[in-house]
Amino acid sequence: MSTPISRRAWLTSVPAALGGLLLTGCSRERFIPPRVRGGLIGAADVLTMSTNRLLLSGQPLAREYSRSDVADPFPTWNQTNPRNAEYQRHASEGFGSWRLPVGGLVARPRELSLDEIRRLPARTQITAHVCEQGWSAIGEWTGVALQRVLEEAGGVTPAARYVVIDTFDGWYEGYDLFEVAHAQTILAYGLNGRDLPRGNGAPLRLRVERQCGYKNLKFLKSIRVVDSMAGIGRGTGGINSDFGFHWFAGV
Amino acid sequence: MGVDSVSISEKPRPAEPPSTVHSYNVRICHWINLVACVYLLWSGVHVFLDFPELYWGHTGYRGYPAAFRLADWGLSWEQAGALGDRRWGRNYHFTFAWVFLINGLVYVLWNLYSTHFRTRMLASHSSYGTLQRASYLVLIFVFVPLMILTGIAQSPGFTAAMPALLDLFGGRQTARTLHTIGTVVLVLFVLVHVVEVARAGFFVKVRSMITGK
Repeated sequence: MSTPISRRAWLTSVPAALGGLLLTGCSRERFIPPRVRGGLIGAADVLTMSTNRLLLSGQPLAREYSRSDVADPFPTWNQTNPRNAEYQRHASEGFGSWRLPVGGLVARPRELSLDEIRRLPARTQITAHVCEQGWSAIGEWTGVALQRVLEEAGGVTPAARYVVIDTFDGWYEGYDLFEVAHAQTILAYGLNGRDLPRGNGAPLRLRVERQCGYKNLKFLKSIRVVDSMAGIGRGTGGINSDFGFHWFAGV
Repeated sequence: MGVDSVSISEKPRPAEPPSTVHSYNVRICHWINLVACVYLLWSGVHVFLDFPELYWGHTGYRGYPAAFRLADWGLSWEQAGALGDRRWGRNYHFTFAWVFLINGLVYVLWNLYSTHFRTRMLASHSSYGTLQRASYLVLIFVFVPLMILTGIAQSPGFTAAMPALLDLFGGRQTARTLHTIGTVVLVLFVLVHVVEVARAGFFVKVRSMITGK
């Protein structure tokens, strides 16, 4: 008599345990976009992101190339000089008074100057910038791990789910903590051995090497840590997904 | 009695005789595949038009030496960009890539389990000709996997997980170029396929792929 009951218990508990592991143990936002679109497109979004993230569970590094592969000058695309008055003032001053606020769900919100950021442990990586349009170019990026910058602000609080980056050209994007924790997720101030040129995002740009170009924001203005992307922009998790592109740009 | 006749007709046939009847798995997968391929082609054209140049190797951008430029064929970058909507294209390309992949896996696994491949693709007494059988097998087991691999070899996420994809094709731009050439080959294949169907009697063949009779 106990056999059928235990078998039934098995049948229900195994999927429940697997689902629970996926949704809580490994955190939902690692596998599913902040807001899932409707219909077949939304189902495909979830399949694409969760497949990618399962394959990337061990946080492998994206391919790093050699110096001879570098494109110099590195191509520029989209905005190359934000008209924003504050940005223009900072640019004319050589970004000497520019500060990067790191706030939201961190232990000690603070602002960092470019010099302070440069004094943090640096990482240089020669990687391919892969634009969703189809082009790709290899650059040598130098910067500090985003994770390290968050630690400068005391680290994220337990409620933290996404890191939101705002830029001087009016863009914003959200990144889940799995992306943030990656060693190659850096805030770059150098390109090909020199200061990051204005056309490529001076003074500071994000590198997320496992996602397409549009997630690699330029002209950084601020960083904030949030528990939800709801209420930011149109609530889809970033300006590109607000406009109907994929939020997860790993393909 | 009635029960006996049902059980007899459902017994597995020892060696399926040459037949033009399609199993319902083949029929359902065929039409889902058609819808997926039409969307994949059309959305792929949109993605391509937004960046209408092809390159070899790991690198390729506007100004880099190109292997193919649509501008050389009379359609400027701006004209092509105005025709293509990459947001629509990307959304639908990746959606129907999943439809295509899942449908294709169902088709292959189901038919490996049943006798479809053995009796119709490999057996010498099949109703298909040798060239026809060879081309279908190459398409399913060589060409389509290569299209999928050249597709995901362009993805920064998948190539971080599987960097061997970059080495397999010699770079993501080479993969993109091969993916595009493969599309042209596939379209030619489908044209030949439709011409063959038309020669065999278009109405009868299409009806048979819908009704199985």
